[in-house]
Order: sequence, then structure tokens, then C-alpha cells
Amino acid sequence: MTKSTTDADLETSKPHWIEWATGAISAAIVLVVIGWIAKDALTDRSTSPDLYGSVLQVEARSNGYQVLFEIRNGSSQTASQVTVRGELMEDSKSIEAAETVIDYVPGVSKAKSGIIFQNNPEGKTISIRAISFNEP
Amino acid sequence: MSRDPGRGSTARDFDAGIFFAGIARGGAGALLFALPMLMTMEMWELGFYMDRARLLILMVLNIPLLIVLSDRVGFEETTTWSQATRDASVAYCLGIAASGLILMAMGVLRSDQAPHEVIGMIAVQAVPASIGAMLGRSQLGGQADDKDANGEDPTHERETSYAGELFLMAVGALFLNLNVAPTEEMILLSYKMSPWHAILIIVASLALMHGFVYALSFRGSHDLAEGTPGWHAFVRFTIPGYVIAGLISAFCLWTFHRTDDVGTTQVLMMIVILSFPGAIGAAAARLIL
Repeated sequence: MTKSTTDADLETSKPHWIEWATGAISAAIVLVVIGWIAKDALTDRSTSPDLYGSVLQVEARSNGYQVLFEIRNGSSQTASQVTVRGELMEDSKSIEAAETVIDYVPGVSKAKSGIIFQNNPEGKTISIRAISFNEP
Repeated sequence: MSRDPGRGSTARDFDAGIFFAGIARGGAGALLFALPMLMTMEMWELGFYMDRARLLILMVLNIPLLIVLSDRVGFEETTTWSQATRDASVAYCLGIAASGLILMAMGVLRSDQAPHEVIGMIAVQAVPASIGAMLGRSQLGGQADDKDANGEDPTHERETSYAGELFLMAVGALFLNLNVAPTEEMILLSYKMSPWHAILIIVASLALMHGFVYALSFRGSHDLAEGTPGWHAFVRFTIPGYVIAGLISAFCLWTFHRTDDVGTTQVLMMIVILSFPGAIGAAAARLIL
């Protein structure tokens, strides 16, 4: 309990046990967070992002064929302004390409995005790969 | 505001001057606290892309928050929960009206926009604006009509329970968090920071929080009872306050879609950086409110 007056507030000297319990649980949470981050600080040696893409869904839409994909980052380093190039391949020949830029792909995370092809991807191969990135 | 003396609330009769002064203070408070957010691009965008379930949770949680806040600070002394509820709905309404008017005046809301966007943009801004309207009285008011016979502001004359202190810290943290959580800078900072920076920020947040309330001699700062070691208050108030700031940060980041598809460590780093202003807000709330 805190007694509030217009002068300085005075904490009571005999706090309820709940106050100590709250304090102890909170301290444990803070220590776990610090421990988790410290573990990463000590063990992680990645210096650059590791980006790879995969197709999630292909759907016919009013202006073409929409390919929804995700880019995963296997490293702990975040990449920003990731340019992703999607190519539609038939018999290992590229018949159509589309590009998009993803703002951020955070470390050990993924980001979703989409590209639109004019040709029907059915029976063809879609290749999705990151071709450039910045450090944030 | 009108009160029914028959219900034994207070003896003060309806006075149009006081009523409109209260509304004006609420409106001023809404502007003071919400203008930074009304002028943030990310907040406009959130209005139309934000997941409606998350927006609903934010808007519904704001109701009990306003009621409890009204009971503690608010436009005027409230003695019953029904009065607190009435003031909370007035504050919410002022928040919605102020957000709508300002967004329209700045040309952000246009008549050709879909109702879905308009409602979303006003709704997300109404939450900070309504908290601002509620705080308007305690921060901008406190004039002669609020003082009791001893010349003291009635809101400062009560004992604050432990839960009450934690609630005030949550409101303070929410306030500063809402200002910065929607901006891209928060996630960008968490990507720029190394884990060591994050640990430094945690230690600095705790030290600043404790210093704000106990060490620096601000008006409203807290003194420890004679013979109580300093770490007692640190464990009972500062650490729980920091965890509350962290939970509020996590909620804001989730509400604003900043944690979607992001790995655990990165989410923790975002929470740590957002808790930094949150912790300061929590500490300041204990002094101010």
C-alpha cells in the first residue's frame, strides 16, 4: 500500500505477501528474458541473412495468376529491402518473371508476399529467390 | 454534470459552466495526448489493414480501462461505479469525436473513402484519444472547483492500493507505448540492436524507473518508510512495473501486427525496446496520477 498525500508518498513498511509474490514472479520473468537474450548473444555467430523462398498458394485472379509465397530467414541477422524474383519456368526456360521488394525479413522469421503472372503456372515450375537485400 | 442528490452522490447541483468546462477539458486532453498519433502515418494505415478481431479486442479492453481510470482520476470526483461508467462513455465519445474531426480537418479522412476505412481509422485513434480525454481533468484541471474544503485535490488524498499502483503503471506504460508502437522505427530499432544492446536497455529501463520514483525528488515522488531497505521497493514495485510495461508492449505490438511471423528472439527485442518508453511512462504515471 502507498499512502498518497500532496506531500511525498510513503510506502508502508509492512507489505502484504502478495506484493512479495508479485515481485518474485516478475523478477523471474525479467531474468528469463535476460537469459534468453544472453544465450543468443553468446551462442549466435551469424553475420549475414540466409534467405530462401517457397510458394504457398497459386490462384487465378481477375488480372492473372497470383502466386503467394514466403521468404524465410534462417539466420539471426535481419534483412531489409529484400528484392525477390519469381520466375515461371517451362523446360528449364524462363517464360515470365516478376519482382517484388519486401520491407523486412527479420532474423529467424518469415515474411509473406505475392507476385502475379500472366501465364498459367499449372504444369510449369515456379522459382522464388531473393536476389538482393540491405542491412537494416 | 448533473447529479441526483436523492441518490446521495454529492450536493452539487447542475451547473452548465462546470459541465461545459469538463467537456472542454476532456476535449483538450484528447488533443494533447492523441495529436502525435493522429499525425502518424502508420496509425492511418492501421485503420484500414488492421485485423478487425484485434481492433475489437483493443476497443473492448478500453472500456474497463476507462471506467477504472474514471474512478481514480477522471473528469470529476466519482463516488459510484455508475458515475464512473457514465464519465467513461463521455470520454470514449469525446475521443471518437476528436479523432474524427481532426482526421477530417487534416484531409486524412475524405468523403470518397469506404466506410470500412473511415470507421477503422477513427476507431484505432479513439482509444488513445479517449484515455487523453479522461486524463484531461487530472492533468489540465485541478482548479478551485475541484478542491475540497482543505484546498487539496481529492484525487491525491486517497490511499493507493497495491493493485491501484500497478494499474496506474499499466496506464502510463500504455500511453507512451501507443505513441510509438505503431511506428516502423520500433521494429527497425530492434533489428539494429544486438542482444547486448537489449540487455543494456533492460538494465537502463529498470534503473530509470526506480530512479524516477524514488531517487529524484520530483513532486509526487515516493519516500520509503524509515528503516526499509531500498531493494524492498525495487522488488515490490519497480520489477512488477517493468513486467507490466513489457506485457503492455507485447499487447501493443501484437495488436499492431508487428509480431506476425517474427521469431521469438526478435519479438523479445521489440518488446525490450518498446518497454523502454513504457517503463518511463509507468514510472511517470506513479508520480503524476
